[in-house]
Amino acid sequence: MRQLTEEETKTLFSKLAHYTGRSLNSLIAPTDGGQQMVFRLQGSRVYYMPLALANLATSIPRDNLLSAGTQMGKFTKTGKFRLNLTCLDVVAPHARYKLWIKPNGEMPFLYGGNVVKAHVGRWSEDCPEHSGVIVYSQDDTPLGFGVSARSTQEAKKLDPTGIVLFRQADVGEYLREEDTLFTT
Amino acid sequence: MAPTKGSSKGASSGGSHKGSKTSNFSSDSRVSKSSKKNAPKRPPPKEVKSKARTAPENLQKKKKRKYTEAELNLPKLNSITPVGVVKPKGKKKGKTFVDDSEGMMTILAMVNAEKEGQIESKMMKARQLEEIREARKKEMEARVAEKKGKLEAVKDSIRNKKKGKGASDESSSAVSKSSGSKFSKPKRKSVSFA
Repeated sequence: MRQLTEEETKTLFSKLAHYTGRSLNSLIAPTDGGQQMVFRLQGSRVYYMPLALANLATSIPRDNLLSAGTQMGKFTKTGKFRLNLTCLDVVAPHARYKLWIKPNGEMPFLYGGNVVKAHVGRWSEDCPEHSGVIVYSQDDTPLGFGVSARSTQEAKKLDPTGIVLFRQADVGEYLREEDTLFTT
Repeated sequence: MAPTKGSSKGASSGGSHKGSKTSNFSSDSRVSKSSKKNAPKRPPPKEVKSKARTAPENLQKKKKRKYTEAELNLPKLNSITPVGVVKPKGKKKGKTFVDDSEGMMTILAMVNAEKEGQIESKMMKARQLEEIREARKKEMEARVAEKKGKLEAVKDSIRNKKKGKGASDESSSAVSKSSGSKFSKPKRKSVSFA
């Protein structure tokens, strides 16, 4: 387990900033109790954890350490960063664009489908296309995240079966991908 | 024989005289010759070696000057290492970690600013596209309305023509149409066969 290099940090933050607004600062700022949160790289996976935990983790051999803290995602072999579903709880409070889906649209989304216009309860105005959006149920439970297919303006003219959001991760993966979700 | 003796004597006596003479004479000639003749006699200039050839300094190979690629003026595409692969010399090997929160914050601020800029430009672009679309839509609507108006005008003109022709029996035809065609038709038939 090691710290991220400058380049890796930049890649990670630019991906996170795709989904979150300016409040991303609070992710790495020390909390009220003086607890510093850090990102650590283990293999190709990035974990988010308190500094104290990261220091403790140094006592475990690299090969034996499977996971520590919250997994944010992984670096691909081409150097890009891919967010994992588990980062949802970290990212959701700082979301830049949000989309609430109706109860009848929850199941199609949780089974891995994209969000169609008929299932949208409401969503943030002024959302450009291809920007990161966090998906919530009507009672504000984060269900997953994805990328907007159309801007809000264009989506208004769309027919009810038109796709407004491409799914990237949803909490249904905890069941569907149970075997492979945490494998390294 | 005498002459030989004499000659020898003379030569001897004369030799002495000559010797003095020649000495005088030859001294001049010798001086002139001495530069040529005496040269090999002089001790040749000795090579002064401060250190032996086998001294460790001399045994080491002298460093030949290495030319950098830039000095050689080679065409870039012809060089052995491809253009993109060359790593900067003298740069420290290894990764530079960011662990202090200040460094993280600066990177984050940079990334955020970049992202905001991107989103702003996206929004601007979307707005412009929307304006263009609106304008095009309006134009289309105007064109359709114009076409409709033209059609209506033509229809009206045709209607007016019809009205002009059947203005006299307009009322009667209207009445007959409203009453029904059943009554008018049998009348015509009766006329044709009568």
